[in-house]
Amino acid sequence: MGPRLTLLAFPLLTSLGSTGAIAADDQGLGRDLRASIALQGFPCDQVVDSKRNGDSDYTASCKDGNRYHIFVDSAGRVVVKKL
Amino acid sequence: MHRLCIASLPMLLVLVACTHERGAARPSAAQGATTPATAPTPAPPSAPTSPPPASAPQAPTPAVPPAAAAAAAAPAPSKAGSQAAAARSSRSVPKKTSAPETTPAAEAIHAPAAPAAAARPSTAAGATPALDLTALEQRLRDTRAIGLFTKLSLKNQVDDLLAQFKAFHNGGARVPLGELRQKFELLLVKVVTLLQDDDPSLAAAVSSSREPIWDVLSDPKKFATI
Repeated sequence: MGPRLTLLAFPLLTSLGSTGAIAADDQGLGRDLRASIALQGFPCDQVVDSKRNGDSDYTASCKDGNRYHIFVDSAGRVVVKKL
Repeated sequence: MHRLCIASLPMLLVLVACTHERGAARPSAAQGATTPATAPTPAPPSAPTSPPPASAPQAPTPAVPPAAAAAAAAPAPSKAGSQAAAARSSRSVPKKTSAPETTPAAEAIHAPAAPAAAARPSTAAGATPALDLTALEQRLRDTRAIGLFTKLSLKNQVDDLLAQFKAFHNGGARVPLGELRQKFELLLVKVVTLLQDDDPSLAAAVSSSREPIWDVLSDPKKFATI
């Protein structure tokens, strides 16, 4: 375990740790989007992909193939539009 | 260099395995990621009058803040489930940097605290056991069990329902009280459903405050105070 190994392991460890956090964040966002979609009465079993279009503006793809545009309008309302 | 590669390979495998396990085992952490940055710990809110969590009925508080109107209904979660989820939520959760944090959505969710405070003085009348609804509202704001978009959606629906109650009490009602009750129950079921997995104590608190909230909504005098 020389210093070279330590130097190699540190960035590796850092990158792997952050990967886990990012995955958890994505999962949380997916759940949030899915719940929002469901609250508007649209079907979505699971969000498998989401793309951020801007502040409070996402496009979500559900496992069942449905795609939705979810955003907050100027009145502060969450709007879900089926694409 | 060859020895270095040999040494780092098993280490890499162990790290990958650990990271994978950790990521898979914390759904609540993921959920908390989208909540506003005001709740550093999963503990109940830090409202000045913060009550003991969940099942502790307190002095009658017939006033209902708009967000707290989303409280209650539905079955209370089991004790085992509560403990499990409490343990889950007591883990350290990573803060996240998702987009909605600094958006109008966050502001909108945190905006209507004033009605709750205004509603607090109007205690007295009701004999029904009630929770501290201001604290309940604060807990709903702070919980990590519901994401930001979802909270905002719920707030929109609460506001819509309150508008319908207002129309009803003003005599311009197109919706009869029975139907309003159904809508109220449905909304509370939604809230409890969203909470019950990751914040069962709050789900129970919401559930147990259903009748006090309904008392306020259905009584024109009490409703006028919110």
